[in-house]
Amino acid sequence: MGTSTRDLEQFLARAADGDMDAFGHLYHATSAKLFGIVLRILKNRAQSEDILQEIYVRVWERAGDFEPGRASIITWMATIARNRAIDALRCDKRHDAVVDDFDIDQLADHDDLSVADEAERNDDLRQLEICLGGLDDDRRTMVRLAYLDGFSRAELAERFAQPVGTIKTWLHRSLKQLKECLGS
Amino acid sequence: MTDREDIDMLAAEYVLGTLDPDMRRIVDERRSHEDDLNAAIADWEKRLSPLNGHYRDEMPSRDLFPAIRARIEGARAQADNIVEIDLLKRKLARWRIGTFATGALAASLMVAVLVSDFASPVQDRQFVAVFHRDDTQPAFVMSIDLDTRAVIIRPVSATLPEGKTYQLWIASDQLGPAPKSLGLLENASVPTTRSLGEFDPALLRNATFGISLEPEGGSPTGRPTGPAIHGRLIPVKH
Repeated sequence: MGTSTRDLEQFLARAADGDMDAFGHLYHATSAKLFGIVLRILKNRAQSEDILQEIYVRVWERAGDFEPGRASIITWMATIARNRAIDALRCDKRHDAVVDDFDIDQLADHDDLSVADEAERNDDLRQLEICLGGLDDDRRTMVRLAYLDGFSRAELAERFAQPVGTIKTWLHRSLKQLKECLGS
Repeated sequence: MTDREDIDMLAAEYVLGTLDPDMRRIVDERRSHEDDLNAAIADWEKRLSPLNGHYRDEMPSRDLFPAIRARIEGARAQADNIVEIDLLKRKLARWRIGTFATGALAASLMVAVLVSDFASPVQDRQFVAVFHRDDTQPAFVMSIDLDTRAVIIRPVSATLPEGKTYQLWIASDQLGPAPKSLGLLENASVPTTRSLGEFDPALLRNATFGISLEPEGGSPTGRPTGPAIHGRLIPVKH
């Protein structure tokens, strides 16, 4: 990507002042990243494109809220995208949302091969992966399926053939262990 | 488990995405006024967001930016209208204070501000007025077309007390000091159309309008007597 974080922050700052052209630059520099998140969670291209539009409207509305010191701009935008995608997933689950054919290899429990490459690119991810590595296999997979693919407690319960209450307990233990390992 | 741990786990599962929809909505609402919960969420976002590195870029199948832009501009146009209405309300409030101070109008009748009060270019031929009771819900919407000199009054939330009727009034310097009746609005639930063919467009443009609540059959005195609803004329842009 030929656009630096600094460029993105400037686009966003100009968008906060109502500059639609700058917002267009921001969209074109970041839409593939955000669409990757939304599509992986919703697994339906048409719905994902609709939700992506809502996400950018939200980014526009909240452009003035971004604080560069707290998170990177792309993390801030990714958080907005993930939250909206998960909300859409939970709501539409009630109406049997159509799921496109998707590549099973993309699911979180098949991610491990790519981890080494990713980790080298990102110190924070490497640290988090070390801590995830300290969890039992099932629990590590559970955290990944929840975070990356938007699995609910009930879906995790089904996949791991456990009562929902057990899943909740496992999740809480895993999250506490991660927090301790990350030292914050 | 302490409250602090509860909040931390609630924040953690919120960020992880495993809460059910109702719980997510509750957290969304609570974080806006609970600083410790909001801070816990921010901490968990910081801990878990490195996982975003696992998402692979995907191109949307078409350029969605024009559609996004249209949504934003649509929302912005709506917001501008709200601002405009708000400004009108504040202007109206000032006008009412002035009216009370001078006692220039019959105390019972609150009427629309002069159309000429608006920077309305000559080409504006159509106007609407929104009649409010007590500055709350709109009670009537009136539209007037200067070319056909037809006025239509549409009830919005007007209810008619038993034994009462609404009466429409026009006031203008050219018509003398007293408001002139434009007739009764017989039914508070369907639109009423009136032809104002007897008035010339210039007079209508500068006239003021009012709706008052009167005894059945209309004002017994020929002047507005009951509580009135005020409105203002706004040019309709094409």
